[in-house]
Amino acid sequence: MSEKTISNNPASVVYQRCTVDLASGTTTFAQVPCKNLEDVLGGFGRSFQILAERDIAEAYSPENPVILNTGLLTGTSIMTGMRSYFSGYSPLKQSGTGRPGAMWSTGSGNFGNKFKWTGLDEVIFENRSDKPVYALLKEGENGPEVELKPADHLVGLTGHGKIMALYQEYPDAHFAAIGPAGENWENNYMGAVVMSTDNELKSGEPKSRFAGRGGMGSLMGYKNLLAVVAQSSDKLQKITPEIRDVNRDILKSGGSARFQPASQGGGGGTWANIEVLQVFHAVPLNNFRPKGNDDVERLFRDEVEKEFDIATEACHRCGIRCHNNLFYKNEDGSRGKLAAKFDFEPLILFGSNLGVHEPAKVCDLIHRCDLLGMDAISLGTTISYVLDYNERHPEKPLFNGATFGDYEKITELIEGAGRGTLPGIARGVKRLSQDAGETSYAMHVKGLELPAYLPDTNPGYMFAIAGGHMSMGTHMMLAKEGKHSLEEWTQAITTGGLLQVGYDMIGLCKFVGVGIGHDIIVRALKEAAGLEIASGEIVAAVRRAYLRGLALELRQGFHEEKEYTLPSQVMDDPNPKVTLPKFITNEFLGELRQRVWSVFKPEMEGLLPVKGE
Amino acid sequence: MQIKVKLYASLRRQKFDEADWECADDDRIASIVEQLGLARQDVGTVLVNGLHAGWDETVQEGDVVSLLPRMGGG
Repeated sequence: MSEKTISNNPASVVYQRCTVDLASGTTTFAQVPCKNLEDVLGGFGRSFQILAERDIAEAYSPENPVILNTGLLTGTSIMTGMRSYFSGYSPLKQSGTGRPGAMWSTGSGNFGNKFKWTGLDEVIFENRSDKPVYALLKEGENGPEVELKPADHLVGLTGHGKIMALYQEYPDAHFAAIGPAGENWENNYMGAVVMSTDNELKSGEPKSRFAGRGGMGSLMGYKNLLAVVAQSSDKLQKITPEIRDVNRDILKSGGSARFQPASQGGGGGTWANIEVLQVFHAVPLNNFRPKGNDDVERLFRDEVEKEFDIATEACHRCGIRCHNNLFYKNEDGSRGKLAAKFDFEPLILFGSNLGVHEPAKVCDLIHRCDLLGMDAISLGTTISYVLDYNERHPEKPLFNGATFGDYEKITELIEGAGRGTLPGIARGVKRLSQDAGETSYAMHVKGLELPAYLPDTNPGYMFAIAGGHMSMGTHMMLAKEGKHSLEEWTQAITTGGLLQVGYDMIGLCKFVGVGIGHDIIVRALKEAAGLEIASGEIVAAVRRAYLRGLALELRQGFHEEKEYTLPSQVMDDPNPKVTLPKFITNEFLGELRQRVWSVFKPEMEGLLPVKGE
Repeated sequence: MQIKVKLYASLRRQKFDEADWECADDDRIASIVEQLGLARQDVGTVLVNGLHAGWDETVQEGDVVSLLPRMGGG
């Protein structure tokens, strides 16, 4: 993207797009002037405007693109500035009318940097290839070049396996690949995009990052696009005193402290959430139904440390160091091979929420999901439904009859989902529960499975547009602050909560931990991208981008009452074991919806293109 | 007067799990956190007898004050 001053003239900022026709193999390059500040900031703020221009009735249709892009700060020296985004209409998120919802998914690693350094800001993959291919994006003498290459040698490999195979050919590149799940797109709607990290390439260990939500990997699989290679020389931006100060403030401001290593006085990553939520017995257990006991405490860090060597590691040049990688201990006490990465979501969703409490077994389940290239949230939450159903119906169980804690049978379900032999699981919990005829305890909203925060504590899930906790920042409000009035929740959803998505525009990671209008963000944009954008302008652009996403949901047929709700078990059978206030009733949700829509709807007018224009 | 203080996650690793604590009648939560040697920005949530409480609230004899670190992420 060209670096110019902006203010009231977004068209002065131009980004580099390449459109790849996977059917013909042709590529088209264009310099695209920005239409508005959302375009300038990038990420889903830009990709959703492209998606809004299309009338897509089926996710698996040639007209549905996969859009790969970056944010304004991707590839800069601002800490965490390495995000890349995959957008398209999701095979998983689907309205009651059958039309797919627009989605984006994002991850870190070093792929985003390398992609940006090719000179590209955006690649739109159109149509589908009739043979497996990978896309090679590289910097050429006269600008970026894009080429499709045969990918037969990658077929059947894990996501990590594809990355390592490509690394042999392109040692100066980084990679985004799909796993077997994405290749089995017809039977698996929750395929993730697996993204390489420096640690992964150096060690050969599967330390990938994932753009997991919404089945963007499955959409790539449908297009027969097995991987994307970003090959470029490193173009590390000079760290000026001002950028150094921004990075220092990111580390010191307190927002990121909770994610920094425990050994350095930080919170120890998202893992720490488990201990905090357990104070309220609000850690998901046995399909989001805590029992008020101490089962989950076997997954506390202190307990796990007895069995594993825990290493805190980082994405490319990130000082937050949020990764907690677990290694087996050799007999002599030295570090053995990698067991898994322990983040809160997979830890809970493959642990306590499946009734599995032994760390080694949890590691194995996470590892299997990662290698097969699936979204840990969608898979874990769908399997927990299966186990719940089977516990309720021992006389007519689903699949192999697995129940909570049945580790061996759970591994079969994971393998079957990833390999495409269990479409009932791999098409997600919404479809499965409808087929099974019991939807009340299917933990999803709008077809996207819930993350590891109880819906009993977060009515904000209703208004998340791309995954429950990554696109509506209210998932810990009740535990943090105890707030439970209609006024407080309306305020939270319509002001601060939605701004969570701003990080998915600008190229930074949410673990920076400050509000999107914070002075740190304003300074980062000024110093690293050369654009002076006032805090209020950033906030307004993020708000418009979010509301455009919400408008797009309605256009795709999501019912503004019936589908903006929570699993009915929350309202009909409140869990007495959770010690937080119980306030979510059907009446509460009805009133909350009314209040939120009354704020949002007037602002949504005019955000989508008018048909024919 | 005496209260009980419970610390969780990174806070307990800094100090202790649970302890009886002497404080003055009019001590506010903020003051107690300071007496404990904890940085206020490290404390995200305060509970008094299991209910959310603010920095300016006072405590009573026998209260259980739970301090939780800041939470977030996914």
